[in-house]
Amino acid sequence: MAFTIQFIIDVLSLGGAYALMALGLVIIYGILRLVNFAYGELIMVAGYTMYLSSGSGLPWIVMAALAVAMAVVFGIFTDYAAFRPVRAKSVTAVLITSFAFSNLLQNAALLFISPRPRNVPLPPIFSQTVEIAGAITPVRNLITIAASIVLLAAVAYLMRKTTLGIAMRAAATNFTMARMLGVPANLIISSAFALSGFLAGVVGILWIGRIGTVVPGVGLEPLLVAFIATVIGGMRSLPGAVVGGFLLALIDTTLNYTLPQDLLKFRDAFTFTLVILILLWRPAGLIKGPASGQRT
Amino acid sequence: MKHSYITAALLIGVIVALVVGTELLGIRLYDRIVTNLLISLVLVIGLQTFMGNSGLLSFAHIGFMGFGAYTSAVLTIPAQMKGMALPDLYGFMTGVEVSPLLAMLVAGIVAAIVAAIVSYPLMRLSDAAAVITSFALLVVLYTVMNNWSAFTNGPRTLFGLPKVTTMPMAAVVAALVVVVALVFKESRTGKLLRASREDEVAAAALGADIPKLRWKAFVLAAFIAGVGGALWGHFITSFAPKSFYLKETFLVITMLVIGGANTVTGAVAGAILVTFAYEGLRGLEGTLNATAAGAGQVVGLTEIVLAIAMIAFMVLRPGGLFPTREIGHILARMRRKKETSA
Amino acid sequence: MLEVRDLSVSYGAIRAVRGISFSLGKGELVSLLGANGAGKSSTIKCIAGALKASGGTITLEGKDITTSSPEQVVRTGLATVPETRDVFPDLTVAENLMLGAYLHRRDVAGNRDNLERMHALFPRLSERSNQAAGTLSGGEQQMLVIARALMSRPSVLLLDEPSLGLAPAIVERIFEMIETLKKSGLTILLVEQNVNQALAVADRAYVMRLGSIVASGTADEIRSTSDLSAHYLGS
Repeated sequence: MAFTIQFIIDVLSLGGAYALMALGLVIIYGILRLVNFAYGELIMVAGYTMYLSSGSGLPWIVMAALAVAMAVVFGIFTDYAAFRPVRAKSVTAVLITSFAFSNLLQNAALLFISPRPRNVPLPPIFSQTVEIAGAITPVRNLITIAASIVLLAAVAYLMRKTTLGIAMRAAATNFTMARMLGVPANLIISSAFALSGFLAGVVGILWIGRIGTVVPGVGLEPLLVAFIATVIGGMRSLPGAVVGGFLLALIDTTLNYTLPQDLLKFRDAFTFTLVILILLWRPAGLIKGPASGQRT
Repeated sequence: MKHSYITAALLIGVIVALVVGTELLGIRLYDRIVTNLLISLVLVIGLQTFMGNSGLLSFAHIGFMGFGAYTSAVLTIPAQMKGMALPDLYGFMTGVEVSPLLAMLVAGIVAAIVAAIVSYPLMRLSDAAAVITSFALLVVLYTVMNNWSAFTNGPRTLFGLPKVTTMPMAAVVAALVVVVALVFKESRTGKLLRASREDEVAAAALGADIPKLRWKAFVLAAFIAGVGGALWGHFITSFAPKSFYLKETFLVITMLVIGGANTVTGAVAGAILVTFAYEGLRGLEGTLNATAAGAGQVVGLTEIVLAIAMIAFMVLRPGGLFPTREIGHILARMRRKKETSA
Repeated sequence: MLEVRDLSVSYGAIRAVRGISFSLGKGELVSLLGANGAGKSSTIKCIAGALKASGGTITLEGKDITTSSPEQVVRTGLATVPETRDVFPDLTVAENLMLGAYLHRRDVAGNRDNLERMHALFPRLSERSNQAAGTLSGGEQQMLVIARALMSRPSVLLLDEPSLGLAPAIVERIFEMIETLKKSGLTILLVEQNVNQALAVADRAYVMRLGSIVASGTADEIRSTSDLSAHYLGS
């Protein structure tokens, strides 16, 4: 019983984080057909904002809000630096500029901050554990679950019930038609990047909260997770990204519990093999995205 | 294709000129830089055979270079050194010691086989999904190299490869790869693949099985990367898995993109240009680090400059220096123009 | 109301529209006729802001909208129904209509009244309010796109081939509806290949061929022009 609860909490907390990462990536791809390689760096930006503000004496929650705000700002900035100048050109051009931009941000952190890990302030609750029906679990896992439920619900509400969200979904299938109804292109693009940055910021704090430090390459694993989850989920579907995130977490956690110690280091390779098998079965991913859609 | 011969001759001429020039100068440092450049050339052209024809970016390329380097290492490290260099190596492998040239070929084959198996399902994905899974594949290949201690000595540095790669040898391999890339480009597979990029429906109507064509190009690219990796391994003689990861990937993609991914000429031009820029910037970093203000803290400057250059190229000249035509083609057209105007 | 002068549109080296001029008076229904490839849809897209003009000017109620973006054009009171019948297939009928009223999203009461008018005009849409637009029939989708355009409360409506690919009975319904809209005082530019039906409702018409306007006049004048069919057959 304790084991089952432990397993479920692990899957849900990891899956919640993965789902948020994937969602932040798929919002950009689904609406604008842009793969944002610099997505992981938004998480890095959130982490370094926490580090840089740690001496300020501000309450933790203010620092966290600041970190999320910086991720939003950098999200929008990514659009101006890496996407806007090449949007009219090929898919590959867009991929390359965002890859270059990701390298640029990472190396800037390397040059101007440090290659070494930097401590990130965390409230004591992040390192506490609780016992639920015999299972001992870190409180931060429960925080992650709660945060992901709230955020997933908020994103669902935004996309289904608000005019902005409905306009974003419309733009995902036919950007020009949405504009012909008066929806400003810039509003949609900036909103998508801001939302992506917001999710990256929140997930960044949760993710960095597990390790307590930030390094220039901290965004790589979240980026990879987001990539794989969206490919499993179906690239352009928001629910698909969430399903992909939880499925990936289920695979990872199961492997964590079942693989012998000396094979555990190859976990990523096993995960990837499973992903390949899923794709052999369904090359387009589990959930189909919006009907058509052209690049903008 | 007559101008393909001109292109091959010119590009090989550039390689020969580089080697002869360096030999004449006789400076050891230049010798090292040019050998490195020639190895980069092999890797970049390898990537060009896939990317230039399929139009898809592959991030996994350097992973196959790593597989090649480790394969050749396991096959060539002298038997008496193996106990030290690869303490966890499987018993039956400890006695194996083949000639480095044979090992380089095997390195290419191993990389190609691995690529053939893992990439088959990936080539069926949509463009964007194929590219991002190639990135995931790079991470997986790296994970394997980092942890398969029996073959790679884990994350630790592996040493003891016989130093066999010389500048002329690297030049010969580079020249061969130029020819292979040009032949592939003009082959039926290469032509169909490039046609499919322009118009998938029309190419499919011609009977092109696009995933299969992409797959063939990917396997060829991995073969070249494997050979290139082995070549590099026998030049540097000791390395760790982190040599085959994001930094190197970034560099190879920068070279190809700046030169022009669609042409072999572009791959050669990009490799030369970026190598010189890279060495220059590294020199600058070293100088800055030696000063009081730098104090050994300057890292990443080279990458920042290269990243900005790459973005600038994508904005101003998205096809790179040689976006569509090979050098032979360009010269032939110039001559024709001159004739008609004369 | 709408004034187009010397408008040219090019796709690379191909000149789809070659310096055409025409105008619409307030409350007029003007039809733009012509065969496939005459440059009608390019003209519409260009007025709507979805395509850049390579020359000429477009003015709407005295305001130059030649270089305006699509979202700016609709804000000046011109709504477009493109020939591609672009419903948002994953959105419900209600959501589609709601986006039509994007510009007036704060005027909740006004939108409610407008929606009721649309439901009166197109009863089918109210029945299918919560259905995904992609599941509607072709005729229903056409009605939805028109209703959605009207939700933006335009003073000028561009209709690009509303009858394209629809069954005759439905085409009949659509043209009845166009007449109703005309009676309500809306200025309409109707692009059609269906000459007879278009001329039956139009006040005036222009005929395009290979990117130029080759004939113009009242509907009766155009109808009586003997070489009209020649323009269509392209001989």
